[in-house]
Amino acid sequence: MIDEISIIRLVLEGDIDSFRSLVQRYEKPVIRMIRNIINDHHVCEDIAQDVFFTAYRKLESYDPARSSFSTWLFTIARSKSINAAKKKRTPSITNLPENPDLSTPGDTLAQKEFFDRLDKVLATLPTKLKTAFILAEFEKLPYEQIAQIEGARTGTIKSRINRAKNKLRSALKGLEENRI
Amino acid sequence: MKRQEVYNAWKEPKSKIEVGENFTQQVMNQICLYEQTKKHPLLNMQRFMDLVYAHPLAKAGIVTAGIIAGFIRMTLTVCVFLRT
Repeated sequence: MIDEISIIRLVLEGDIDSFRSLVQRYEKPVIRMIRNIINDHHVCEDIAQDVFFTAYRKLESYDPARSSFSTWLFTIARSKSINAAKKKRTPSITNLPENPDLSTPGDTLAQKEFFDRLDKVLATLPTKLKTAFILAEFEKLPYEQIAQIEGARTGTIKSRINRAKNKLRSALKGLEENRI
Repeated sequence: MKRQEVYNAWKEPKSKIEVGENFTQQVMNQICLYEQTKKHPLLNMQRFMDLVYAHPLAKAGIVTAGIIAGFIRMTLTVCVFLRT
């Protein structure tokens, strides 16, 4: 597998088709991140397309000494997702597939209620908390990389993720208490 | 179900993604289109020449413009010659 720096060099020298391998390498994490931030399946691919196109146009400005290509790409994706989320004021709730290991209809119903609640809490989290949480929990990125993407210190990122987790935890706790 | 299990079950589908079959191709098409418009701007001499060759009226227009320009230049030269 050719390393990213070599691919980028090839693209900058005019081999446009080399960019295809970068798109294939990052399409899943980028689309997933956008989907989780804006909470909309329908537009996430359009936004992701714009992210890759912007990355291509600005490829000359990418500096490997400052960050990895994935960090740079995620930064573009983050900014485009936040802009799209601002335009789309009312967040829709993702339809999550049911978990097959639950035995009774009551459990499935309870699970759906929990999921809906968690989705709502995630959708209403402040942007900074939400993006940090998504990058850590769904993209499994290290704190240092998230800090670079978010333009904040690692300690701040840890605190944001903890705050987001606490909010989700308290939402679950609230539901459990209501059900008792 | 315990709280942690619910949380993990909620997280699981969010960590998965289905990408459209043509996604990469769509991105590449957009890039190719961008490169084409970059390489062939609106004011391109070759495109202009092709346009002129393709339309007889455009050819006639160019020839007429050339004749007029030549006539004006000749007149100006004669005027300057007569003054001196």
